[in-house]
Amino acid sequence: MSAAAVGGESPLRRALRSGRVVVGGSILVVLLFCAAAAPLIAPYDPNEQDLLNALKGPFWTDNAAPGFWLGTDNLGRDTLSRLIYGTRVALFVAVCAAVGTMLMGTALALLAGYFGGVIDWLISRAVDLWMSFPPVVLSLILIVGFGVGIGNVILAIILVDWTRFCRVVRSEVLVIRRQNYVDAARLSGFSHMRTMVREVLPAAAPTIITLMSLEMGIAVIVEAILSFVGMSVEASIPAWGVMIADARNYMYQSAWGLVLPILAIVTTVLAFNLLGDGLRRTFDARLQQH
Amino acid sequence: MSLLALNDVNVTTEAGGRRIDVLRDVSLAVGRGELVGVVGESGAGKSMVGRLIAGMLPKGFATSRGSVTFLDRDLLAMAPRERTGLLGDAIAFVPQHPMTSLNPVLSLGAQFDEHLRRLGQDGKAARRERALAALDSVHLPRPADLLGRFPHQLSGGQCQRALIAMAFAGKPDLIVADEPTTALDVITQARVMELIDELQRDSETGLLFITHDLRLAAQHCQRLAVMYAGEIVETGPAAALLSDPLHPYTRSLVAANPGIAGPVRRLAALPDHMPGLSGFADLPGCRFAPRCPVRDAACAAARTALTEVVPGRFVRGAGACRKQASALAGQDELPRAAADAAAPPILSVDGLGKTFRSGRDWLGRRRAPVVAVDGVSLDIAPGEFVGLVGESGSGKSTVARLLLGLETPDGGRIVVDGQDITGPFQRTAKQRIALIQMIFQDPQSALNPRQRIGRLVTQSMEVRRPPARWPERLERARDLLGQTGLPQDTIGRYPVQVSGGQRQRVNIARALCTAPKVLVADEIVSGLDVSVQAQILNLLLDMRAQRQISMLFISHDLSVVRYLCSRVAIMNRGQIVEQGPTEQVFRAPQHDYTKALLAAVP
Ligand SMILES: Nc1ncnc2c1ncn2[C@@H]1O[C@H](COP(=O)(O)OP(=O)(O)OP(=O)(O)O)[C@@H](O)[C@H]1O
Ligand code: SF4
Ligand SMILES: [Mg+2]
Repeated sequence: MSAAAVGGESPLRRALRSGRVVVGGSILVVLLFCAAAAPLIAPYDPNEQDLLNALKGPFWTDNAAPGFWLGTDNLGRDTLSRLIYGTRVALFVAVCAAVGTMLMGTALALLAGYFGGVIDWLISRAVDLWMSFPPVVLSLILIVGFGVGIGNVILAIILVDWTRFCRVVRSEVLVIRRQNYVDAARLSGFSHMRTMVREVLPAAAPTIITLMSLEMGIAVIVEAILSFVGMSVEASIPAWGVMIADARNYMYQSAWGLVLPILAIVTTVLAFNLLGDGLRRTFDARLQQH
Repeated sequence: MSLLALNDVNVTTEAGGRRIDVLRDVSLAVGRGELVGVVGESGAGKSMVGRLIAGMLPKGFATSRGSVTFLDRDLLAMAPRERTGLLGDAIAFVPQHPMTSLNPVLSLGAQFDEHLRRLGQDGKAARRERALAALDSVHLPRPADLLGRFPHQLSGGQCQRALIAMAFAGKPDLIVADEPTTALDVITQARVMELIDELQRDSETGLLFITHDLRLAAQHCQRLAVMYAGEIVETGPAAALLSDPLHPYTRSLVAANPGIAGPVRRLAALPDHMPGLSGFADLPGCRFAPRCPVRDAACAAARTALTEVVPGRFVRGAGACRKQASALAGQDELPRAAADAAAPPILSVDGLGKTFRSGRDWLGRRRAPVVAVDGVSLDIAPGEFVGLVGESGSGKSTVARLLLGLETPDGGRIVVDGQDITGPFQRTAKQRIALIQMIFQDPQSALNPRQRIGRLVTQSMEVRRPPARWPERLERARDLLGQTGLPQDTIGRYPVQVSGGQRQRVNIARALCTAPKVLVADEIVSGLDVSVQAQILNLLLDMRAQRQISMLFISHDLSVVRYLCSRVAIMNRGQIVEQGPTEQVFRAPQHDYTKALLAAVP
């Protein structure tokens, strides 16, 4: 409980003591590995059809077919391989969308919170206005406007969700801005830019990291929904939303085709949320001890 | 017969695998109608005594020895429910932070009603009558109107009075007041203390007054107990204890407190600071030994006990305690730095004004403007310390921020060393940084917790052109730490890893980095313990002697201003109402506000 112990321990070590961070992080490491090594670990090509073995169930069911561990879909494509390849789309969208929303939201939040006054007023009103649209409607309008495609999905998520970042980070920046060390930096001759980057941003980093991990979870869901309705990736690319859409019509013959991708989505989102929640708690605990 | 008696109580906790006595051998008695003060610096265990009586020891803390008797019944042996019942009626508590102790979403009336209902008063109308009478007894004007208000609509002083009214309303046998005036300014503090005196005189209530302010306690209490590191080191009648302290710690406490009258002598500052909890375990003998100026070899091991030295006066300690310490005897009178009247002022402020209009509501409408600073003019000679005194909200900090360029003035001129630096910060930054620097009030918030002290103090070298290289910064950092009396090994530490007093030294070291001509210090000792405060004050004096630095010293503490500053300006509602040589202003104040301020000093 001495000050030395608190200050001396690295944030990473502290985070790793949190069960949530460890569980969420481990799942994500596995998912990342699947995405990166998909061609090596997937038993089949995700688009390879085997019509003789269509609509098979997973190995623990009566309807199983040897070699297809988690069964097949209506075209006889291997579910396990498609799930593994599906992590690529999910994680790609998650990372790009989260980084994008973070960059846009944080930049505007920094400007608003740091300079205050008219700049703050303008940015805050823009956020209010933006948030008054229901997010689902807004994203659909954006997709219809931009056209389908994974790049547009990411862009839509960024344009819908930057406001959440902006709002939370701005109020954080407002608090940090009031700390005397920010003024002290100015008095030492720091430019506004240097003050923002060196003094304000690091203090907001815990919040930003937490928000990013939650945002990744949201992006996974949004992408799944949009590929379900055919507005994201092309049908030939294996994505969890596409799998759900395909399996929908054969629900009564084999429910597993529907359940497994949904499970994948839930697990991924849960992992991101656990990680985000765990990180938030670690950072909060550190702040309390200061 | 005493109302409350603590007999040899130990409160113990565990830290780092060791048992630590947070309170050791604490014995204390409060009689009916008696006002007893418990005095100590932060971390001495004063609040732990309050919590012990309230039966609210923090988790992991427990009494391991001794007894607490109240009205001849042992509180510790009592069942929790019985105890709670007894406490509610017979013992009342007045907390330190008035604002946070009231429920923000309930009106004062609702909270009063609830409180009286808990005390067993029937009938809503009767309760209202009692509430009105209670508010009236604490001299709050228009009580009926106040009952309808919410806590945020009251000032700190009003909240504290309301809480005191509540505490006395139940006619308790005992009131425990933990730092009841610390959050208030001097004038309000004086009024609240007067009120406590008055209410207590009229009743049989005993009062335990917990505070860090020895003078304040001595002024109002009959008896005092001085605490250090979890032990009571001295108890006795208040007047005798203040005029003739017996324990070395009490003596240094008295010596570390600058006076409001009499000769100004250099303060005898104790080295270092009080050990933290985990340090207690390494002090089996006298816990004051590492800092004691008169210790001898036996002290560190000797288990000490409170013994009656003079009738009615108890001192904890070994034989060495009673040695008349030359180290603590009166120091030489300080020469008053006579400012060179002929020299042109180093800082000259003329007609400075600032009105805040920036606030907007959510529709973007401007809020009513606040005139924070109104036509302030002030000169500081080279090597002169000028005090700026005023109550909370009088605009002192705004003056500081204007001088430093953190706010842009609406009118007036600021000239430092012949250079006009009135304009916006961007345009004048270069001159300002080299000429004038600021020491912030709260070192905790003024030092970025994520950077090491070596970097922090040399921060301004980072943006110099050409940028300073690291070895050069390191050397400068060493030099600055040396100048401010910090150990060299703090250079690689983070601010949380040093004590509060050291943090304030880091803060000062950083301000010195550009070798400015003028320093602006905003309440830089108000958060510090008396003995640490004395160290910092002496450091500032040494700095003045060595480097002819000038300073605007902002403070609400008149004795500290008198100790440091040869001239003083009194500020009220954004204006300087009186200014002149410190001794003259303090001896013969002209303005009513100055008189009120001086009268309020304990
Ligand atoms: N940025 C601001 N915006 C609006 N009003 C402000 C601002 N800063 C200060 N004020 C107001 O200006 C007045 C003077 O404030 P200032 O902080 O200078 O007082 P102070 O004398 O330093 O008080 P304290 O002793 O409590 O530190 C107050 O009424 C305060 O609420
Ligand atoms: S016992 Fe020794 S160290 Fe302790 S106060 Fe007395 S003289 Fe000082
Ligand atoms: Mg102030």
